[in-house]
Amino acid sequence: MSSIWYYMERDMIKWLRGRVAVISLLIMPAAWLIFVGLALPVTFTGNYLDFITPGILVMTMLASAMAGGTLLIFDKILGFLNKFLALPSPRESILFGKILFITIRGVIQSTIILVVATLIGATILAPAQYGMIYLILVLFGLVISGLATTVALYVEDHDSYAAFNTLITMPLFFTSSALMPYSVMPPWLRAIASVNPLSFAIDAIRSVELGVVPFLQMGILAILCVVVLAVCMQVFRKMTV
Amino acid sequence: MNAIETHDLTWYYHTLCAVDHLSLSVNNEIFGLLGPNGSGKTTTVLMLTTLLHPTEGTATVCGYDIVREGENVRRQLSYVPQEMAVDIKMTGRENVLFFAHLYGVPRAKDKTDEVLAIMELTDRADDLIRTYSGGMRRRLELAQALVHDPAVLFLDEPTIGLDVAARKKIWEHIGALRKSGMTIFVTTHYMDEANLYCDRVGIVSKGRIVALGQPSDLKSELMTDVITAKVSGPVSIPTHEGILLVGQAGDEITFTAENGKEALPYLAQALAANGAIVHSLSLREPTLDDVFLHAVGNQDEPRNFDDHQFRTMLRRRK
Repeated sequence: MSSIWYYMERDMIKWLRGRVAVISLLIMPAAWLIFVGLALPVTFTGNYLDFITPGILVMTMLASAMAGGTLLIFDKILGFLNKFLALPSPRESILFGKILFITIRGVIQSTIILVVATLIGATILAPAQYGMIYLILVLFGLVISGLATTVALYVEDHDSYAAFNTLITMPLFFTSSALMPYSVMPPWLRAIASVNPLSFAIDAIRSVELGVVPFLQMGILAILCVVVLAVCMQVFRKMTV
Repeated sequence: MNAIETHDLTWYYHTLCAVDHLSLSVNNEIFGLLGPNGSGKTTTVLMLTTLLHPTEGTATVCGYDIVREGENVRRQLSYVPQEMAVDIKMTGRENVLFFAHLYGVPRAKDKTDEVLAIMELTDRADDLIRTYSGGMRRRLELAQALVHDPAVLFLDEPTIGLDVAARKKIWEHIGALRKSGMTIFVTTHYMDEANLYCDRVGIVSKGRIVALGQPSDLKSELMTDVITAKVSGPVSIPTHEGILLVGQAGDEITFTAENGKEALPYLAQALAANGAIVHSLSLREPTLDDVFLHAVGNQDEPRNFDDHQFRTMLRRRK
């Protein structure tokens, strides 16, 4: 188990030392909050910032987790993966170390979004509500980073992965309930949005903000999480015989 | 029990046979697996380090089966792949300590200092790898490999891309490890280095071992002298008792002779007999290159083997 920690630590050190990467990851969500949250003229809610924050939290987790797949691709291309696979420590810990790092990085970003949102006027919640938001984000982060790393195992090079990333991230975001409530969506979008996994996480966080515990969405996310991680581990074992 | 034992080890990629019924015993020595690019050296190492499962045949490392007892095998070995894979945003010490932790080495910090000292990297241990030269990066990889005191060390092209001084240093370190009792399995396509530093070599061609033994024995099997002739025009290969054709590469023809000095004038005459022009004749002691040529045959023979495709395939690691 400890090897998962060391693999995570390696990625964390490398990430924190790449200054541009850190700064861009912090500025991006803030820009979203300010330019979308404060600027968009909407009429369906009194505080659009409160409405959009869950969407941006989940979007950031999605983007961060999808970008995380690149880490595994580079380890594969540059020969690190072969070195790690020849070590006696359990091989799956390479994978779980990656997933853990990606999720932690997403949580760090989410924290910054929550801080910035509060500073520019979002409603302050109770500690238990924040705790639940983090739990939802972690579950969602595990699902997406599990998917991202599994795809990364199959993809040959970085370019193909970047293409896959764009292909998934943008459509998934715009067809979710991130930007507007179901009531103002055209019917076709409502149909797509209600089965979009992003919406599960976003709706769950919105319920938390309203003081409701979203057992259903959290349950779905938890089941998804277990399934994805199990599949991911199987694929990894198969790929690294 | 030998450190490495392989029996009919074979690996197919679709219909391409990369390693063909390889049987070897290696113990307590520097063993060099030599051969051109794409001859199956790396594939052999990948199988022995449990990164690929053989299609056929078996192998053991320190008595453990490479397929059934992978984790025990990995406990005994260290593997340094051809690509230099060290994290450039981390310091030398962090890179080694990371491996010490992954190996579960007790007193990881002390052990890290110890191997960094062995590899003469103590002064630069806290600098980022970004600032290291190629030779230093390779030595750092050796330090990572040594941190858990492996019984067997696998090095895939350890000196590739390094300058002369750095190569010499790497080989000196490998020699020192061998003296401390480690078994070292090296692949290289530098015959001269293998000749100088390996206790025993196996020459592979198209996945098969074509010559195996101590470099000095292999060379002496080629008899005493090697004559290389540079010829243009219609060449007739002379046949004469005591003179043997080794191979032809372009306009260079190589012979071995029991008595080189006497063979020279004869060859000069015989080669020119058909109207060919003999540009030069040289006489020297045999090298591993000659052993290779002799074992593999004509080096110019077109090998329909796509090296690039082979590397991509290895990366895919199916």
